[in-house]
Amino acid sequence: MNSYHDPELDDVLQDDELRHLAAVLRSGRTPEPPLDEAFRTGLRRQLMQEAWAIGEGRDSWWRRLFAPPGLAWAGAIAGLLLIAAVVVWQAGQPEGGLTQLVVSSNLDGKNSVALAQPIFVSFNQPMNHETTQAATQVTPATNVTFSWSQNTMAVQPTGGNLAPNTQYQVTIGPSATTAAGQRLSTPQTITFVTQPPAPPPTPAPTPRITPTPALPEKALASLVGSASLKAQWSADSSSIYYIDGKGALSLVQAKGGDVQVIAQDGVTSLAIAPAGDRLAYVRGDKIEVLTFASGKTDELAPTPAAVLVGWAKDKVVWTAADGIYTQADNGLARLAALPATGVVAAVAIAPDGAHAVYTQDQNLFVLDLATTKSAQLGPAGATFRAWSPDGTQLLYSAGDNLVVADMAGATQATLPTSGEASWSSQDAILIGSDTLLYEVHPDGSNGTRVYNGTYHFPQWAPNGAAFAFMRGTFLWVTVAPALPPIPPAIDQAATVVNAFMDARQKGDANLAGTMLDASGKQAYGQGGLDLVVTGDPKFSRYYVLTQEMVGTQPDTARFVVRLVLSRGKLDVMSYEETLTLVRDPTSHNFLIDQATGGPHRDLGKGAEVVNVVVGQDNVKVTFDSDLDPGTIADGVVILDSKGKQVSVTTTYSNKTVTLSGLDLKESSSYRLVVLSTVRDVAGNNVAAEYDLDFFGPSEKKHGNHRDSVTSPSPTPSPAAQPS
Amino acid sequence: MSDPSRDDERELVERAKGDPRQFGALYDRHFQQIYRFVYSRVREQTAAEDVTSEVFMKALKAMPRYQDTGRPFAAWLYQIAVNAIADRYRTLKPTQAIDDFHDLSVAGPALEDLAAHRDELRRIWALVEALPHQQRTALVLKFQEDMKIEDIAVAMGKSAGAIKLLIHRGVTRLRDEAATLRPVE
Repeated sequence: MNSYHDPELDDVLQDDELRHLAAVLRSGRTPEPPLDEAFRTGLRRQLMQEAWAIGEGRDSWWRRLFAPPGLAWAGAIAGLLLIAAVVVWQAGQPEGGLTQLVVSSNLDGKNSVALAQPIFVSFNQPMNHETTQAATQVTPATNVTFSWSQNTMAVQPTGGNLAPNTQYQVTIGPSATTAAGQRLSTPQTITFVTQPPAPPPTPAPTPRITPTPALPEKALASLVGSASLKAQWSADSSSIYYIDGKGALSLVQAKGGDVQVIAQDGVTSLAIAPAGDRLAYVRGDKIEVLTFASGKTDELAPTPAAVLVGWAKDKVVWTAADGIYTQADNGLARLAALPATGVVAAVAIAPDGAHAVYTQDQNLFVLDLATTKSAQLGPAGATFRAWSPDGTQLLYSAGDNLVVADMAGATQATLPTSGEASWSSQDAILIGSDTLLYEVHPDGSNGTRVYNGTYHFPQWAPNGAAFAFMRGTFLWVTVAPALPPIPPAIDQAATVVNAFMDARQKGDANLAGTMLDASGKQAYGQGGLDLVVTGDPKFSRYYVLTQEMVGTQPDTARFVVRLVLSRGKLDVMSYEETLTLVRDPTSHNFLIDQATGGPHRDLGKGAEVVNVVVGQDNVKVTFDSDLDPGTIADGVVILDSKGKQVSVTTTYSNKTVTLSGLDLKESSSYRLVVLSTVRDVAGNNVAAEYDLDFFGPSEKKHGNHRDSVTSPSPTPSPAAQPS
Repeated sequence: MSDPSRDDERELVERAKGDPRQFGALYDRHFQQIYRFVYSRVREQTAAEDVTSEVFMKALKAMPRYQDTGRPFAAWLYQIAVNAIADRYRTLKPTQAIDDFHDLSVAGPALEDLAAHRDELRRIWALVEALPHQQRTALVLKFQEDMKIEDIAVAMGKSAGAIKLLIHRGVTRLRDEAATLRPVE
């Protein structure tokens, strides 16, 4: 190093020690500084935009030259002639003329670009495929293949799809040449943003079977003076068991036909077993149980006498004057007592046999048969109307409304009309009266007047399509239109999150504030998160990184939203907010209850996580870049709440790392960690470790969506059993 | 014989003077060195990006006025950069000298760390950071950017003699500072 010699400095560095230092300085250049390639390309684009603006402004001297009025007309005419000549000439030329190479793409500047498509880059001249492909660079790092159609190059990600939620930049460098050898004068960059990934498939609601042929309104049988409809559909929705005004238990096919009598008289209550294989009914002071397959009827003769009959799984349950009973190995067992004071009458047994409703004087109660605790339903004078198919909620009338209540008597929703009701497996409630039939979801949504006319005591068939009802003294049957399905709770919460973020993006703090509860307002209050994001770089877009239901009662959802900040068109930075939404008990809408913010991350510096889907036994992590597979297994891990690494099987395909073999515990917290050892195919490491906290998914369904009542295998209608 | 790369650069400059849309080629050619130089002065990425943006934006707008004096085009860009860096710190904190920013004190922990590693290269460059800003700029342009004295003179708006003097003083001061850090043997 002492041999440093620079003639320019000979006269000032004569000392050996100084020369040595100069040699050190020359040889020991500082390492290249950190450089954000996105900044380099972004600045270039800004400069080019400015250059175009300057270039276009330069012809203003022509306008000044022709400004004097005397020359204005002459100038205008000359200009018109010139323009006309240019137009005629250019009509025969390719875009950009013969000398200028023009690059374009229909994706440039677009947002929400679909994932399953190639990136088309068009040129106004035939290109040398080899040099053009070699000059094409895609960021984030993506393996691509090329194909050509005339002057259009299709850039197709090797893995199939583009990454979701990602800003892509496709740059054609200056080494691209035309077929004639002309070079591209300056690099051209196409910028676009892809749409979110397709939502995971939601389980389709139980298919609604439309009877074939569809049933018109049809009178099936006389109820012989009955004041109400005591009836139940067979499990396969093909036939109806009913009790007429004389106490006869009969069966009639929903499509019509002869009535088959099962019990001639004295029947006061009936219930078909959940498995659909047996029918229990109260006749006189006995309970008779008809097994459809054998046609055999068994008898129970409880004391005190049964009033109402139902089922708890495969066991008969009944009410008597002093309580609710069931079968036991050595006879019968009383599940719960009814009050001993006042005028008490059992009203209904839940479909799952876990609850019963009774009246005491003018008051309505729901009784939990497991705890023997009762809860009052509504004010005095309330009338029981129907159970939800799963027996977890019920309907009662109070004044002019129907109330949806849980088994603790807590109001879940209030429906705007009253009447006799039935709750279907498709979560549609039919409300009948003298003058109309109304259909509505249990949350009060999609309320529709279905038919005008008399529809008393509607009763849904298990398929949720047909229903029986009473008109005059006859049993009728028809079908009701399907209501739009209730969105799953997570979708309802997502709607609020999107509306909240949209309002913030528009700078509408007032609107955004309406989606915050008191606690949420604190989170975005003074010293907290910014409700309206201002400054440079600008808040340009957002997307939901992950979403999950984390609780019930009340429904609670957790979202991680990524806010992307841009300079010009270029995404340069992002940060995340974790939002916790809770369903408001009054409005039943989700409100943002908690919010926390994460650190800012510079973009364009290695692969970024753009989507995380948490399943029961796997977690799928999607990146914006193609990854070096060798860096994934040890680089993408899950830690449990104690920080211990969870054992997983790691697979990788098309930008998505799947961590499977998990046994995530419901409501337990976990952390997804992407270490900086993960590399993209261009060799860039993840800029900084990325952490995402999440919870083990709930196995239960949330919100108003309930498990559909499983229709048992169709049972043949029994042969009429002479009593 | 003329320098082909200089001829090439002259052509690029002339084209950009005539049509600002041709400035991209000059940007591509000089971005890295200007960014590196700016970063070496401000030592912070966001600031380096801001200043680099300003340098090229000013250069683009001033292209029609650019006169080829026979010096490399980069010298003109460095000149804009030197002024932009000075402006930036004047604007940010008028009473604080540029040397106070990112001043790596000889007694500071970073330097102790460097000394502990006995890494001469890094130690010397750390010492450069502590030099008065004119000396530092001259040394960076000379030894890191490998510029000629005349070009540095253009960039810094000084005479060639003044630049030589800055370099001499800078290297001499480095020698003195390095001596104080040298472990006792």
